[in-house]
Amino acid sequence: MIHVRNRDLVIPGQLLAEGNLRVGRGAYREGDRIFSSVVGLAEVEERGVSVIALEGCYEPKMGDDVVGVVSDSHLYGWTVDINSPYMGDLFAQELLGKVDVFKVELGAYLRVGDLIFAKIGEVSTLRKVKLLARGPGYGKLKGGRLVEITPVKTPRVIGKRGSMLSMIQTVTGCTLKVGQNGRVVIMSEEEEKVSAITEALRMIEREAHTSGLTDRVKAFLEERLKENGGKEASN
Amino acid sequence: MIEKQRILSLLKREPLLKLLEQGRRVDGRAPDQYRPLSIEKRVIKSAEGSALVRLGDTTVLAGAKPKKMPPFPDSPEEGALIVGAELRPLASPTFEPGPPDENSIELARVVDRGLRESKCIDFRELCIEAGKEVWVIYVDVHVLDHGGNLIDASMLASIAALLDMRGPEDPAWKKEFSLKFKPVSVTIAKLGNSLLVDPCLEEEEVMDARLTFCVREDGVISAIQKGGSGYFESGEILRAEELAFACAEKLRRML
Amino acid sequence: MEEKKLLIDGRRLDGRAPNELRPVKLKVGVLKRADGSAYIEMGDNKILVAVYGPQELHPRHQQQPETAVLRCRYNMAPFSVVDRKRPGLDRRSVEISKVVREALEPVLFLNLYPRSVIDLYIEVLQADAGTRVAGVTACSLALADAGIPIRDLVAGVSVGKVDGTLILDLNAEEDQYGEADMPVTMTGRDKRITLLQMDGHLTREEFRRALQLAAEGCERLYELQKQALREKYASAPKEVTG
Repeated sequence: MIHVRNRDLVIPGQLLAEGNLRVGRGAYREGDRIFSSVVGLAEVEERGVSVIALEGCYEPKMGDDVVGVVSDSHLYGWTVDINSPYMGDLFAQELLGKVDVFKVELGAYLRVGDLIFAKIGEVSTLRKVKLLARGPGYGKLKGGRLVEITPVKTPRVIGKRGSMLSMIQTVTGCTLKVGQNGRVVIMSEEEEKVSAITEALRMIEREAHTSGLTDRVKAFLEERLKENGGKEASN
Repeated sequence: MIEKQRILSLLKREPLLKLLEQGRRVDGRAPDQYRPLSIEKRVIKSAEGSALVRLGDTTVLAGAKPKKMPPFPDSPEEGALIVGAELRPLASPTFEPGPPDENSIELARVVDRGLRESKCIDFRELCIEAGKEVWVIYVDVHVLDHGGNLIDASMLASIAALLDMRGPEDPAWKKEFSLKFKPVSVTIAKLGNSLLVDPCLEEEEVMDARLTFCVREDGVISAIQKGGSGYFESGEILRAEELAFACAEKLRRML
Repeated sequence: MEEKKLLIDGRRLDGRAPNELRPVKLKVGVLKRADGSAYIEMGDNKILVAVYGPQELHPRHQQQPETAVLRCRYNMAPFSVVDRKRPGLDRRSVEISKVVREALEPVLFLNLYPRSVIDLYIEVLQADAGTRVAGVTACSLALADAGIPIRDLVAGVSVGKVDGTLILDLNAEEDQYGEADMPVTMTGRDKRITLLQMDGHLTREEFRRALQLAAEGCERLYELQKQALREKYASAPKEVTG
């Protein structure tokens, strides 16, 4: 028996459903009742219920793409801040391939403060996070502007089947590197575009729980870029 | 050391719960039964009142010493009571030397409230000269061996030390000073669905929470303190209150 | 201790009935830097709560390998009380920090974030009795604001006794001159008690009735908490202007 509708705003302790349904993220079971544990939007499916949180820290998951900030270096590689209670470990060979750490100067590749785009290879039970940064699109990000958003809202920045992200990139002509950990790097030096995209990201953050967002963000960007005499919108 | 303690505690919760399902406690007691209790007074010569309490494996020593002091500004005609408590490092591998931590502060404040709110001391009797000088009674609790339930042991030791107090050789000491009430505290631990009085150390390490009632002989509750990271259902609180009153009188007779 | 009449014709000095709460204001998400925050006004209480975390816990040796550590710091600003309070930790604040932490631990899923720490800061900006329970009420909202999973909201209220009558939600005067002070916090759904203290004079019968009264107060606060959380997301999307 389900007590909420899909996309209802729910709060911690709110009864979502009763019975033998599957309990997804953002929810928990007590006896035969399922409750929400966070503020978010209920996701109701035949098999179970879960809640898409509207706030929360980033919990590293294998396979996620993340934007990291190098925070320390050691003999075998680097420690990377991934905007999470847990730091990421990037071993030298996961960036450079087969390498002799005693012979190579790691500082030539990554320094403290550098931005990187990486994939989470593994998360141990002790929450040790192994990062992978080889392959096209991964590794050090040269230039670009970092914008931090609430991690749980990243899916909205990407959109259904990537629709929001590809719209932004098309309208502005800029590439965005989007990390599941709430970090977006705008790969552009053009100040007006960077500032327009940053505002668009804030708008997505604020209105993540509403519908029709992609259209409104598109309209906003087109207006802003027209104002600033930027690249002509594809109209 | 603390880590080892905690891991051992986790291993012990399941077996204790299993025993409780059969209505048994780890040391064979009934849920409403206290451990063997002994109270020895007049044990420290340098204190005007003192008591050594042994409650199971817990040993607590309390000393009561009156001092002549100026009164507090908002009560010029009244003496005062100041309660301190120390969890001495020798009492447990989990007690570290240093300034009082939250546990010793909580212990001191709970004992203080139990004594103060019970009105067992009439502070006006401690006045020497209004506005100028009063007696302040310091009760200091020294935990020597931590075998669980420090609150009840400390409360018993404090009251016993006060009862034991013979005035200092000082003409200003009122010979007629006496305690008006004998408050005792009863601490009840919640473990799963069971309520157990006087938790021993093993029970304390795995309990969900504890509830302490300080009660007077006339049935008045002077202080209550819930401790621990768990919760109580309201029905459990009422059952705990009944347990407290059932045990209080037996404890009081030992004083 | 002077005698002071705190109940006149069944009404309290501030005009309230015995079972009436003071005016309450709750706001969620009031600070920019904290991961979660909330603000509560209850009578003349003004209390700000912030949550940081979960984040990595330093020093390492304080980390718990399988759970997060919850740390709570209750603090009164020097100007929060008429008699200036010296800044810094005092014994009362240490005890309150402990009981507040223990009031919230039961609803947290600490095993979701091993080796990390969740820090709760309660700043009492203006005090008017009942600060610890008001603090817990706001902490629940701050935790929800931070997106930290919790089983339920926790709300708190104090019950007291003046002129032999049990009263709900003491103000400073009633706390000082009354006959009992019993702070209680309860989970929203099931009214499980997570904080309970009392000092004063209650008969067994009075204690039972006081618990009842507290449950009524907590229920009303729970409704206000739910409202405050929803309010944060209630605003319609802004019109995009050109």
